[in-house]
Amino acid sequence: MQRRTFVQGLGLAGLAGGLGLLPGMSFANPANAVSVDSLPKLKGDLTLYLGRGEGGLYENVLEAIKKKNPGLNLQIRRGATAELANMLVAEAKAGVKRADLFWAVDTGSIGMITNQGLAKPLPDDVVNQLKPGFQYPMWSPVTGRIRTLPYNTERVRADQIPDSVMALADTDLKLGWAPAYASFQSFVTAMRILEGEKATANWLKGVNSKAKKYAGELGVVMGVERGEVDLGFANHYYTLRLKAGKPDAKVDIAYTKNDAGCLVNASGIISLTEGDLPINFIRYLLTKEVQSYLATEANEIPLVAGVAPPVGLTPLSSISPPDLDLRKLADIRPTLDLMRNVGVL
Amino acid sequence: MTFSGSARCKIALVLALSFGSFSSQVSANGAIGDHVNNLHAHLGEYAEEVQWLEDKFGAVVDVYEKQGKGKVDTDVMIEYWEEVDFHSAIETQYVPVYATIWQGIYGVKTAIDKGADASAVRAEEAKLVHALWQGLGAVKLASQYQKKGLIDQVQTTETEPTTPTEVIDDIKVRLDRVVAKYAEQLSEVATTLVFDTYLQRFEGIEGALIELDAPLVEDLEKDFNVSLPQAIEQDKGVDAVRDVVNAMQVKLDKAYALLAEAEKNRKSVF
Repeated sequence: MQRRTFVQGLGLAGLAGGLGLLPGMSFANPANAVSVDSLPKLKGDLTLYLGRGEGGLYENVLEAIKKKNPGLNLQIRRGATAELANMLVAEAKAGVKRADLFWAVDTGSIGMITNQGLAKPLPDDVVNQLKPGFQYPMWSPVTGRIRTLPYNTERVRADQIPDSVMALADTDLKLGWAPAYASFQSFVTAMRILEGEKATANWLKGVNSKAKKYAGELGVVMGVERGEVDLGFANHYYTLRLKAGKPDAKVDIAYTKNDAGCLVNASGIISLTEGDLPINFIRYLLTKEVQSYLATEANEIPLVAGVAPPVGLTPLSSISPPDLDLRKLADIRPTLDLMRNVGVL
Repeated sequence: MTFSGSARCKIALVLALSFGSFSSQVSANGAIGDHVNNLHAHLGEYAEEVQWLEDKFGAVVDVYEKQGKGKVDTDVMIEYWEEVDFHSAIETQYVPVYATIWQGIYGVKTAIDKGADASAVRAEEAKLVHALWQGLGAVKLASQYQKKGLIDQVQTTETEPTTPTEVIDDIKVRLDRVVAKYAEQLSEVATTLVFDTYLQRFEGIEGALIELDAPLVEDLEKDFNVSLPQAIEQDKGVDAVRDVVNAMQVKLDKAYALLAEAEKNRKSVF
């Protein structure tokens, strides 16, 4: 990820030239999202491995694609994203191939599959539909989510919150976190890659000494809103959804700068089979209709150009996420070891 | 327990059960085969097994009553229960009664192991026998639904629920299983099942639900993460754990209605 790709007003050519591209990434001027009506009909057999998504909304997308394409025989295998990634690797090792596509809810699992050489390349016109910083030749991000700091607006002022996530280990604020939660572990992986093992271990120890533990990140946000803690660590959509159901909720979102605290992660899809059918299926997920649906119904961040972000979210252009190739988040094992070693898990 | 008594149980059960209470996705202790997917053909066998269990459990209590604690090996009660095909029939069809049977077995076993009065042991035995016949009633009812094709075949592997309302149904079945595992005195398994249910199921729908009823999500969050695990860890007893689960299921019914309505009104993708 190139954080500066979000900065408005910079020319893309100068941007890419100034920063240098990470391996496997490209910067092309994104084409606007296309309408589903411009896509070819899908015909034939496809097997999709689908990581568990948000409340059945991915299922609604798949049902709509099936309805629009009666000639498509879409078989779906569902499960936890990490389990499906392990299954794909195991099947490949055994010489068995069952899936044509893998739609994962996190990039860690995407990295696991691309690292194994199982992904098939995407055509440029698909890659170029994605926003700069999300253009990868071997997989396509679908929607994004940002790491945020939800805070209680009656207990904390925005200017009291440090813009460095590392500084929160030394703060006097009461913190809430969900260390067993997969998104949190991806965030710690990003911190480990960006800041190193020692700094991350110290940060975990520091926060652990003052943080209240929750099972999930919606729990963190609700704990913040109730005032059990001043500030928490959570993906952005939990706060937006809580505020949708409770407009006077005493919670708002803060962002750190240029560090793992404002990591932008993504769900993504990989084609595991050569040919037009899986590629065209991916095109459906990148249409303005699907991107808009996931933005409005699930508060996920559209990653194609020309689709509005969820209401209430600070524009990506105002956020400065860290430089990180998202596929590196697949390196989760050392993160879990580290979290266990310092007594967080 | 007489058959007239069992008939009363069945009538009560029919009133208490709804078609939706039967589960088709299970993780049973016993093998899954014809004896659970063709219940009707095995009803005679199940009735014999329930009678056999009643006699065997009764014999254990008889020995205790006549000869005292040292003469009774109560572990044999678990062996009897695990020996019969009726075990997996009720486990796969109606988990709440399955839990009650385990509760009854441990009620008798614990009373004997503690050297309770024979009258107290007989009271526990009566509850166990009641649960067994109630279980037979549930299996008979399920067999009728099965014959009419109203319930799916029991699968050995779970399939993922795909809609929010299917997720709610699945959560309710899993919570019944929590009570059953706790009643089996497998507290760690029960606690793990609570957390897995939260992370693998509830967490996927609570985002949509909180937009509809934030206090309801707060309540269920507390139930999943505090009330239910604590009831298990503090060993408050099967009735207390079941009370927490029953209260959660009422809230989940409300969640079901809200999510079903929201799905009806949700905008279409294309």
